Amino acid sequence: MLEVKNLHSFYGDAHVLHGTTLHVKPGEVVALLGRNGMGKTTLIRSIMRLAQPQVKTGSLLWKGEELLGLSPHEVAKRRIALVPQGRRLFPSLSVTEHLTMLKAASVKEGWTVDRVFEMFPRLAERRSHRGNQLSGGERQMLAVGRALMIDPELVLMDEPSEGLAPVMVQHLETIIANLGKTGLGILLVEQNLYSALAVADRLYVLETGKVVHEVSAAEVRNDQSPLMRFLGVH
Amino acid sequence: MSGLNLIQILNGLTFAALLFIVASGFTLIFGLLRIVNLAHGALYLFGGYIAYSVTGMTGNFALGVLSSMLCVALMGVVLDLGLLRFVRGFELRQVLLTLGVAFVLNDLALVIWGGDTFSMPVPEMLRGAVRVGGGFYPKYRLFVLVLGLVVFLALWLLLNRTRLGALIRAGVDDAEMVEAMGINIRRVFLATFMLGASLAGLGGAVGGAFLTLYPTADAEILVFSLAVVIIGGRGSLVGAAVGALLVGLLNSIGQVMFPELAYFVIFGPMAAILAFRPLGLFGRAA
Ligand SMILES: Nc1ncnc2c1ncn2[C@@H]1O[C@H](COP(=O)(O)OP(=O)(O)O)[C@@H](O)[C@H]1O
Ligand SMILES: [Mg+2]
Repeated sequence: MLEVKNLHSFYGDAHVLHGTTLHVKPGEVVALLGRNGMGKTTLIRSIMRLAQPQVKTGSLLWKGEELLGLSPHEVAKRRIALVPQGRRLFPSLSVTEHLTMLKAASVKEGWTVDRVFEMFPRLAERRSHRGNQLSGGERQMLAVGRALMIDPELVLMDEPSEGLAPVMVQHLETIIANLGKTGLGILLVEQNLYSALAVADRLYVLETGKVVHEVSAAEVRNDQSPLMRFLGVH
Repeated sequence: MSGLNLIQILNGLTFAALLFIVASGFTLIFGLLRIVNLAHGALYLFGGYIAYSVTGMTGNFALGVLSSMLCVALMGVVLDLGLLRFVRGFELRQVLLTLGVAFVLNDLALVIWGGDTFSMPVPEMLRGAVRVGGGFYPKYRLFVLVLGLVVFLALWLLLNRTRLGALIRAGVDDAEMVEAMGINIRRVFLATFMLGASLAGLGGAVGGAFLTLYPTADAEILVFSLAVVIIGGRGSLVGAAVGALLVGLLNSIGQVMFPELAYFVIFGPMAAILAFRPLGLFGRAA
């Protein structure tokens, strides 16, 4: 469904992605592992067509259509949603407004405010709080809920577990796994192997802008050692 | 040195109302598009002249005000789509471009309307004075005060009770993220630019009746608007209101009590506020 082929991305002269190639099939949960600074966020931003980085060569095919040349809002219209690193909620908007800014509360198709609140009862309790008045876990739930409101077929999640307490991380794993089961495709950036294994069908390891390893979750459960070697854990 | 009386306080408040109308447009554009639109004063002056001419031709004050808002909103569209789009993302170039536009518009106004001072004609029902406290106060200035409140209320409702308003507020916080959610932020920018420009037009039309219209009026109102927005904080409606009140009242105090230090009375406190709150009273970091 999403095919990233030989992508080269730059921040100015800094060459960050060196021919990244990977794919996500419909409804598949794919984890992207890699240490800090390896280019995971750069890849997510490249797919979303945000202003930086600049993609110089390669291709980004979504259901056969080239995404290069589109604007971020056009990518989102093709049902690719973003849960960005650091959440990036809107401090001036209430919880409810984060969800209704795209769709009036009266729209009943696809993801609705009610459905998001059903999935995250905590958010329903805090519906009139502002983005910056929520706890870390609640912020992450809202970032996920906001992304769902575009009725995505693929969600790009950039380190959603970053900075969360262990019990919240578990809760989040359950949520991601459940979303995966509904047939939603997910490309999950994760630094924690065990979090990734808990939800992913397949894993990639990114190192200095290149995919250096690809493996299915089933294979890893049999034998972790090759993956560990690529992650630099011996 | 004499103390302030009710009339002078009212003068401060009515000037604050006008400043708010003009500066709210300025702060919306600054907050969302990150453009310091130095042509905002020129849009104000153009709006004033247009309102003056249309009212003069038709004898209809409301028509003059509306055509000013409409024309200036269209000038905003031309400025945004015709010029600013070529320097998108380059802040210094944007500012310099708007400064250039300000000079061009100012010259153009001089060619069209000449260098005389005009006063926008006021409709019959707003002429004269009403009793206030022990004295009389011009009805028209009270009308401007009420108009300022109405504009504040309307903008507050737009920003806080509509979807476009939520998009504008979200865009002030993080425009890239709004775009990543499938919103064509350019359209929100354009709508905001038109709204901000039309507020400059409205300010010029109503301000033209009591501050009068003359070739350097644009620079004066621009400096005051800048002070209001810097004090209030970029992109904040409440900030613009508080900033306008402060500047309006300080301006009255300065003129009455320290006439030789009139500018210092405004910009001294502004510098003091900035020392403690560099982003202004209601400003937020990007
Ligand atoms: N805006 C930027 N400008 C210049 N270099 C950047 C920018 N963002 C990230 N980089 C560089 O690109 C590399 C990859 O960063 P990033 O994609 O954020 O890594 P990751 O998400 O895997 O931690 C790093 O070396 C980082 O310093
Ligand atoms: Mg990252």
